[in-house]
Formats: sequence, structure tokens, C-alpha cells
Amino acid sequence: MTIKYPVGTVRDLLTTDLVTEATRQALVKRLNTPPRQPTFFSTDEFTLLQAVCDRLVPQGETDQPIPVADGIDERLSGSETNGWRYDTMPTDGDAYKLGLKGIDESAQALFQQPFLSLTGGEQDQVLKAIQLMEAPGETWQTLPADRFFEELLAEAVENYYSHPIAQEEIGYVGMADTPTWKRVGLDQLEDREPRAVQINE
Amino acid sequence: MPYKTSELVDAVVIGTGAGGAPLLARLAKAGLSVVALEAGKNWNPMQDFPTDEKAQSKLFWNDERLSAGNDPLPFGSNNSGTGVGGSTLHYTAYTPRAQPDDLRIRTDFGVGEDWPIDFDQIAHYYDEVEQFLGVSGPANYPWGPARKRAYALGPLPINGAGQLMERGSKKIGIKTSPAANAALSAGYYQEGVGHRPGCANRGFCQAGCNIGAKASMDVTYIPLAVHYGAEIRPECFVTQLIKDASGKISEVVYMHNGQEERQRCRFVFLCAGTIETARLLLLNDLANSSGQVGRNVMAHPGLQIWGEFDEDIRPYKGIPGAIISEDMHRAADADFVGGYLLQSIGVMPVTYVSQMARGRGLWGQDLKQAASAYNHVAGINILGDCLPYAHNYMELSDEKDIRGLPKPRVYFSNGESEERMNAHANKVMREIWSAAGAKNVWAFPRNAHVIGTCRMGNDSNTAVVNADGQSFDIPNLYISDNSTFPSALSVNPALTIMALALRTADRFLDAYK
Repeated sequence: MTIKYPVGTVRDLLTTDLVTEATRQALVKRLNTPPRQPTFFSTDEFTLLQAVCDRLVPQGETDQPIPVADGIDERLSGSETNGWRYDTMPTDGDAYKLGLKGIDESAQALFQQPFLSLTGGEQDQVLKAIQLMEAPGETWQTLPADRFFEELLAEAVENYYSHPIAQEEIGYVGMADTPTWKRVGLDQLEDREPRAVQINE
Repeated sequence: MPYKTSELVDAVVIGTGAGGAPLLARLAKAGLSVVALEAGKNWNPMQDFPTDEKAQSKLFWNDERLSAGNDPLPFGSNNSGTGVGGSTLHYTAYTPRAQPDDLRIRTDFGVGEDWPIDFDQIAHYYDEVEQFLGVSGPANYPWGPARKRAYALGPLPINGAGQLMERGSKKIGIKTSPAANAALSAGYYQEGVGHRPGCANRGFCQAGCNIGAKASMDVTYIPLAVHYGAEIRPECFVTQLIKDASGKISEVVYMHNGQEERQRCRFVFLCAGTIETARLLLLNDLANSSGQVGRNVMAHPGLQIWGEFDEDIRPYKGIPGAIISEDMHRAADADFVGGYLLQSIGVMPVTYVSQMARGRGLWGQDLKQAASAYNHVAGINILGDCLPYAHNYMELSDEKDIRGLPKPRVYFSNGESEERMNAHANKVMREIWSAAGAKNVWAFPRNAHVIGTCRMGNDSNTAVVNADGQSFDIPNLYISDNSTFPSALSVNPALTIMALALRTADRFLDAYK
């Protein structure tokens, strides 16, 4: 089931008084933040991270890509954590640096080329092998490949789906709550809730 | 009322969540001079609580904890909060009562631990807390002992997930009821607190309520405590409890704006939650003659079953926890200890997709397609009892946090009873969802609500505090939070934490008046 919603819905709501000022500020800031020059990762590491994130959360051709890797660099630059980590993992920053090295090692071992030179399908094969803990490479002897993959994936999707444009994609308009929600039951929609435009089974 | 740090106050309360705030209000009402130290900020909900998950991650306890064992527990957005109000700032506000047999697990099953108090000793506190918070609930709740009074308000509107759980459960013969929930279904006035508005059905309880309809402590017991003269000091992180020559705690040391401060006091109430309460005691090598501080970590089996439906659900609307069933409290075919309850769940999008990434390992186009069904997903989850085991504990690691203090490391592995409970619940919830018409059903295994580490009991060799929450080792130290629960209970813990806090305060006041 693929469900599509009209574009622009959230962006249109952000200019109305259906959202609180605090909500508007948070979302408009995210919408308008320019691409980031990395301060935690090196330029090469950051380019690799962006390529990996593109496979995890593909965006296709778009004139306003959602900056998934930027949020990771920003968090690590500020030494922020999400409150916990697996005891078997090094600190988040070390895990990312090691994991990126491991991704390139696995790409070299499997395809004799760096990750960035691979086709999308080949990149997916590398990532799948890491997720399944079947990827070759020295790094994965010390860094648990499945945990690294899980943490990277979770952060990438959190950054992606926090963005107003991604929220438009899935028809989420929960931010437009100032009039309160009166129609909360099954198949009960308010006027401001977008209707699906096309359903392909 | 601001007190001086040089002044000898009657009591310092560490933590302002479900364990600290009710107790603080009670002590202040009795005329004691009381100061609450809270590690987090004092938030202004209207300004500081946007309807945005990422922006509200500041409400979680985001100092890193190390999660070990076979089923490592997530913290941060799970299991922890920071700010005046503590974890109640982002609890779902489900407020079921424990049932009497929840407190007698050892008597009934021969394993685990009994509570040193019975149901009758907390029942009237349940009643008091429900009326004070303004809990919304059904006229006749079908499980547990008869109630003295009806819930303060009628039930909240039932959202899509709740309607589907009702539909599926009815078809297979499972009884359901609108849940008791500490969000207001109508405006509510309380002396000493003021007026709070009815719920806007914003669905954002697990972040922070921006209008004060949800009964977090910052809009209920904290204003009451302040009304009676308590002082709240936010952004104060306690590092040491100093003992005098008599073995009592005479000073609480804390960091505020990078400065070390000390508050002199007659009594200390430690209400910092399962992890930080035990961590502070271990850091200071206090109250641990039993060797039990940090032991007996428990976490509710919290398996979630998600499904996609043809109906438009919009899971961001309505109170996330709408429908409950306690039919599995003592299921006839149970092959595990204790029981569990079932609850419908709404969900915010980032939380949902993040869980899908972790739980199903989906990425690429598969992930995007599954995420596109967000408006058509609904979940059910359980909360079930968990036994205390020697292999589940927390310790101080060698790794230091930003303050230079050791990070806690928490070991957790489900035992056989918890595994069997999850398997039972997996089957039941899939049957409900199948009867309701779900497609693409998937399970997210998890444990919710960390409990234990400073068990209460009658024996100073096996417990850290007595039935009144008083330390066996240090007579002027009390603990009031989920760390003292001897067993996990088969219900959400917040209401019981609050009821126990009032009882602890009353027992203390009786003893020292």
C-alpha cells in the first residue's frame, strides 16, 4: 500500500494561526536551515555519511533535499547524546568514525572500490551485509556491525521524519493543533487534515 | 518562599517528579520548611513545548547511560525525564491502580517479592490522588476492588486506535474499558492550584502538554507545594549527601550554575527515580549495608503490536492511551508469573518510524513505503509484571559524564517468565488486531518503566528502606520513587508512585510531629 498526500500541506499550515508560535519557530527554522559545513566529521567522512544516509532514506530527485547527515554532525559537534548507548558500543562519535571506516573497508573487500564509487545497488549490498553482521573488514571485529547500523539508521530516520517536508509526505499535520482536535475517531477528519491523493495497491 | 542555604531547613526533597512532588506538597502543608532540588529546568509549557518531537527531546534525561545485558534498556525518550515535574512531563498519563494481588507475588507464586504493605494501606491514597489530579475515567471500571468514589471526570474521547481495539477485542471476547487517564476531559479547578483546561486531543502526552490539561507534577502538586510555602530550585544537580558525626545527613551538596552549593537540613527525601537515586547513593557509599542498592532492576514487558488498517486513523489525535483491558491480569492459561494489561496506543510520527527502523530493520524504499502508511497505523501494547533477578542491576562504570561523575551501567535481561508473558501477549494482541481487520502486523519488543534498585521491605538484610520509605542505615534519609517498588506491578507505575509518596509523607509526619 503506497499512500500519497498533496505537497505543501504542512508548509501552508505553518503560516496560519493553527500552529502555536513555539511550534512555528521550531519547524520554520528546520525548514530554512542551509546545508551545513561539517565540524565534527572531516569533509570526506561527511560526504560518505551523506551517501549512506541517501541509501537508508532515499529522497530521489528533489530541489530541497532534507539534510539528514547534517543533524548527526551537529549533534556530535555539541557532544549531545540521546541519553543512552549500548554498552558494547564506543561513544557515539567514535562509533560513527569507526563505522564509516568500516563501510569503506567492506566496500573495498566486496567490490574493490570505495563506497562512493559503487552503484546504488552495490551500496545497498554493502549496507545489508553490515546490518546482517556479514560484512568483511577489520573494523567489524571490534565494532558490533548490527548495533552500529541500528543506531545510524534510527538517527537518520529521526532526522528525516522530523522535517516538515517529510511530514508532508506521510500526511502528518499534528502540529496544527491550536483549535484542538474535535474529530478524533476512525475516518473522522478535520478540514485541515490532508486527504490521500492516490492509492496504488 | 526562598530559604537561605545557611538556614537549617526541615527537609530537602531531591527530584520533583511523581515521587517528590506529592510528598513535597504534603510536608509544606504540614508547615515544614522544605526545599526541592531539581536537576532540570523550570519550563514554561506554552512557550517551551512546541508540537514537535525533536524540539521536545529536551524533556528527557539525556545524560548518557550504558545499557548492558541481553535486553539492553533504552533511556532518554524512554524511562526518564528532566525538568520541574520530572518524568511526568512526558508520561502517557495512564493511571490504572495496582490490584491487591500485585502486592503479593511471592505469596501467590513462590518467587519474586511481596510488598511490606497491603492494598488497603494505599487504596485511600489512590483515591486522593485521582481526585486531586482530576483523573478522567469510566463510570464503572470493570477490574479490581470496588472504588470508594467515581473518577473525577468522565472518560476522554476514544481515538481511532482505541475504537479498533474495542472492535477487535469484542469479536474475540476480551473485555475492554475506556482507560483512566490523568488528562482532563473537562476544565478542572483545585484550591491551591487553580484552573486547568480540558484536553485538546493533541496527542502529545509523551512529549509535554502545552496547556496543562495533562496532570504532570509541574501543574498539580508543585503549584500546591509552592502555595503552602515550599521552595523549588531548578537546575540544581545533587552530587553529595554529607553525614555528620551522628551518622545522619546534615547537608546536601549540589551544583548550580557551575557553583557548588550546600543546603543544611534535618531530613532528606531522595526522589530522583530508579537510576539517579541509586546512583547518588552508590556515589556516596550510603545506605547500602544490605548491599542491595542498585540491585533488582525490573522493567515491564512492554511488547507493542502494530498493524495497518483501511480506515483513516491519524494516530496523532486524541489521548494516546484510550482503551484498556485487564482481562489478562490473571489469565487462565498463563504460564508465567503475575499478569499484564492491554492498552491501545496512538503514536507520533518520528517515534513510530524510529521504532520501525529499530524493530523491523527497514530502510530504503521499504522504510519509506511503510512510513507512508503512518495515518493508517494503530498499536496495542502490554505492561506486565517483571521479576527481580540477581543478573539485573546497575553499577557505576569507569566512564565519566560531563560533571566528572561515573556514568551508570544498567544490566537487563528478561527471564523465562517475562519471555513467556511476551509470547502469550503476542498471540492475544495479534488475535485482536486480526479480528479488527489489521494488515502488515508487526511486533516491537520492548521493556518499559525501569523499576527497583532501592527495594522496600521489612528485613534490613534484603531491603534498602522500610515500609515507610525510611533508610535502615540512615534514619533521616527517606526514598520516595519507583526505586523502592519490591515488585514491578502489572500497571503503569505513576499513580502508585504518587500514592506511595503521600503515604511516606504521612508516616514521616506522624513519626516526627
